[in-house]
Amino acid sequence: MSGARPPLRHRLILRVFPPRWRYRYGEEFLALLAERGISGDLLDVLAAALDARLHPRRADRTALTRLAAAPVAAPVRSPAAFGIVAAGPPAGILSRRAFMRRMLAVGAGLLSLEFLTGTLSFLWPNIREGLGAQFRLGSLADVLAAQPSFATGRPYPYNPARVFLVNVPAATAWASGEERAVPNPSADEILALWRKCPHLGCLVPLPCDEISRYQCRCHRSTYNILGEKMKEGPAERGLDRFAVRIDDDGTVVVDTSQITRGAPNLGPSRLEFSDPHPWEATCDA
Amino acid sequence: MPPRTPDLGRFAEPAMLVLVSLSDGPKHGYAIMADVESFSRAPMGPGTLYAVLARLEEAGHVAPLAVDDRRRPYRITSAGTAAMRQQLDAMERFVRVGRLRVRGADR
Repeated sequence: MSGARPPLRHRLILRVFPPRWRYRYGEEFLALLAERGISGDLLDVLAAALDARLHPRRADRTALTRLAAAPVAAPVRSPAAFGIVAAGPPAGILSRRAFMRRMLAVGAGLLSLEFLTGTLSFLWPNIREGLGAQFRLGSLADVLAAQPSFATGRPYPYNPARVFLVNVPAATAWASGEERAVPNPSADEILALWRKCPHLGCLVPLPCDEISRYQCRCHRSTYNILGEKMKEGPAERGLDRFAVRIDDDGTVVVDTSQITRGAPNLGPSRLEFSDPHPWEATCDA
Repeated sequence: MPPRTPDLGRFAEPAMLVLVSLSDGPKHGYAIMADVESFSRAPMGPGTLYAVLARLEEAGHVAPLAVDDRRRPYRITSAGTAAMRQQLDAMERFVRVGRLRVRGADR
């Protein structure tokens, strides 16, 4: 009889009791359940388990536990007859099993914390590149160092943001056939034109030297130096613009999360800027 | 009744039953339950029994003996006998007073 493994329901019931209680009473309690059965006594046993959990130290103070804790007078217990009862250490010492369980809990906790943090940080807006990001181009001096002709109105292609940076006063002068150096434009004198053709999204190339207009290579949609749609080509609006600002430290920032749609194609009289070339002129003319 | 073992709380009555059961010799859990059921006609659940045993053992009123085929017998200690006697005396007084007054009410 002593070698028989107690039925599962008895072992499950025993799990409801705290470890210290199981250490002290588990074996004999299982023997009692085996003799008597559990029918009708479930509530009584659960109440006792709750009581034992409310008084976790009571089992420690019993004579037998004190005896077991003392090295010499330890009574012989049949070891491992009950896998779930045996091998509890004296009170106050973390058993191997409790330690493993605790470590498992800590590990699971860390893992879920990690997942939670990952999920939250994934939800956080954190765009560093691509559309939606804020591109810091450096100061105007940096831009001029990269392309000195920016001061005299040539658009500065900034590829990470797919924009043309346009120095409006100098560029309109250049498109009108003059040379005017504006080395220090303010933020509202700078345009960031998205180089994506509003027609079908081709990359708009730099203006040609002859007529200082942008012309998409795909379908010849043509835009003036400010990105406004000219007559030539199928696009129905001008190039879209990103917001530009100059921070306190002088850094030029292109905010690609703020997009102004290009003005619709309303004809020559509605353009902000009309360069002196013929209305139909194109780059390869 | 003066509470000899105040921490027994709602287990005071089952504790008395267990102590009385152990008074005529050591018994293990199942034997205690069967005995209590036979003389009190109130069955005692195994959970209650062990809650009581833990309290009595903590109070030093019962002591565990060596395990016999997984079942552990318990014996009543001299402190337990004294406590039980005190309780029984108190109950006896209670019974005596109760009977007197019931008789007075009948008259």
